[in-house]
Amino acid sequence: MEDLQKDRIEQLVDYIMKNCLWQFHSRAWDRKRQNEGILAKTAQLLCGDPVSLETPEDRCYWVDAVCLVEAYRAGYPWLAGLGKAELRDLMQGLYERMDYLTITGSLNLELTDQHY
Amino acid sequence: MPYHEFEVSKCIPERKKHAVVKGPGEDLTSALPAGYLSTIPGTISERGCAYCGAKHVIGTPMKDVIHLSHGPVGCTYDTWQTKRYISDNDNFQLKYTFATDMKEKHVIFGAEKMLKKNMLEAFKAFPEMKRMTVYQTCASALIGDDIDAVAQEVMEELPGVDIFVCNSPGFKGPSQSGGHHTINIAWMKNKVGQVEPKITSDYVINYVGEYNIQGDQEVMQDYFKRMGIQILSTFTGNGSYDDLRAMQGAHLNVLECARSAEYICNELRVRYGIPRLDIDGFGFEALSHSLRKIGLFFGIEDRAEKIIAEETARWKPELDWYKERLNGKKVCLWPGGSKLWHWAHAIHAEMGVEVVSVYTKFGHQGDMEKGIARCEEGALAIDDPNELESLEAMETLKPDCIFTGKRPGEYAKKVRVPYLNAHAYHNGPWKGYEGWVRFARDIYNAIYSPIHQLALVDISKDELAAGTGFVTRRMLSDASLPEKVRSSETLRQYTGQFDSVSGFRDKTYPVFERKPEVETVGA
Repeated sequence: MEDLQKDRIEQLVDYIMKNCLWQFHSRAWDRKRQNEGILAKTAQLLCGDPVSLETPEDRCYWVDAVCLVEAYRAGYPWLAGLGKAELRDLMQGLYERMDYLTITGSLNLELTDQHY
Repeated sequence: MPYHEFEVSKCIPERKKHAVVKGPGEDLTSALPAGYLSTIPGTISERGCAYCGAKHVIGTPMKDVIHLSHGPVGCTYDTWQTKRYISDNDNFQLKYTFATDMKEKHVIFGAEKMLKKNMLEAFKAFPEMKRMTVYQTCASALIGDDIDAVAQEVMEELPGVDIFVCNSPGFKGPSQSGGHHTINIAWMKNKVGQVEPKITSDYVINYVGEYNIQGDQEVMQDYFKRMGIQILSTFTGNGSYDDLRAMQGAHLNVLECARSAEYICNELRVRYGIPRLDIDGFGFEALSHSLRKIGLFFGIEDRAEKIIAEETARWKPELDWYKERLNGKKVCLWPGGSKLWHWAHAIHAEMGVEVVSVYTKFGHQGDMEKGIARCEEGALAIDDPNELESLEAMETLKPDCIFTGKRPGEYAKKVRVPYLNAHAYHNGPWKGYEGWVRFARDIYNAIYSPIHQLALVDISKDELAAGTGFVTRRMLSDASLPEKVRSSETLRQYTGQFDSVSGFRDKTYPVFERKPEVETVGA
């Protein structure tokens, strides 16, 4: 079960890495903000939960999330078979993995610069 | 770390950390070369300087400006034919280049008086131009000329004139990337907010990190206009100086080249709350996603979908014609900064080519993260290579074509590897749906050039087949294709015009009704 979850997360990561740019902002705090904002909204959309669009920034996260959900649903049909709890677990795992690959495990030495 | 050590660089051990192979199971936490460091003494690399990065990459694409270098005349070199950032005002910024022509005597006695004289003369020679940028160079920076003070004097003497001073001498940073940073921040600090924006649409963007190479900006502008979106400013290709002073008025910053222009987007977000949306104008899928996202942001996604459907139907059969013939061809993707990640996945997925190596001349580790993430296993990633390393890579990887700048491109030709100009393009624009087909056509033409085939013959040992007559590209490319593909009635070669850009300038666009203004309570 753990292997299956891991494999599914890697598939979702691979799509982001090959097709998206939002995960690679230039500073660690920026990447944290991006991963959190976009993946939280992606999880809400996948689970059919309400999504907040109060600020322009929210809207910006949301458009990336909408495109990600469309691509995930088209490319990974197994998502349709998951219940809400499983989807939340999966997305939490994806969020942790993305944070690791782009922030905590990143070898990019510029991530901790104080200025842009 | 799966570092790759070049045989030719064994005598420069520091170079080992600048190249990695993306092996099986490797990810960004185990495979990432060092980057954005000063070039190591002893290795002659292909970088430009910080002045070049500020002026020739970002400053000069602004179209309605006298661009003046305060320094020796040689610093102004990169103009006609070496840069191809065209504009819709008869290419003023390309046709005319200005330098104060500093000489030894100015270095000794100072060059401020001469600078002022030059500035006044330039405005007099082009009275219709009321805007000027002045670029510091190494020579004027070292003698301490106060360009800001001179600019202020000129602005006082010539009312209606506005001048931007860019203090990015060549030595300010390890590469041209240092200059990108400096001019971004200087423009933000000194110019943004000075002009009240003229808003003509409910949907307003700044289009940032786009330099109108062979018309790229105008291609994308066409899509935005068809969607009813106002481009308030373009930073900076085909961009207007005063529009760029009004950047604070946009609802969204749409960012293409994050390497050269993310700084101003980040600052606009912090200072004015304008969000940043990174897009890709290259590749059918990435471009479609980009238009869809911008449409969604403004709630006009139906307009984006219409364009995506129309453009895909028009151009996809032509892209696929080339994909069938480029499938499996090995390419090295060796651009300056951002194109390694803009193209790495898209050319593999949509043109079928295998990217065997990515490199960047002046990119940062962030660019390599994006590039390595997007390329397939086995690719060799090199930061700031020197000429010998590039030659060794070509010898071992045996690419069918490389996409790079004119300097490495020239020596690639000598070792019989065809090259396409990744910075300025061959027969661009390469952005947009049609542009992507033009890129595929250029790759096809390079790889299957009959002349190139002749170059592969080593007349010192190979038998020259003098009696076999001529061949065409088509004869070469179709020799091993299945009959079904060869005679396909749906696939076709590029059918666009030689000039795919000028037509946009006289085009009529739909007028979309604006939303009624909502009165603010208490206003």
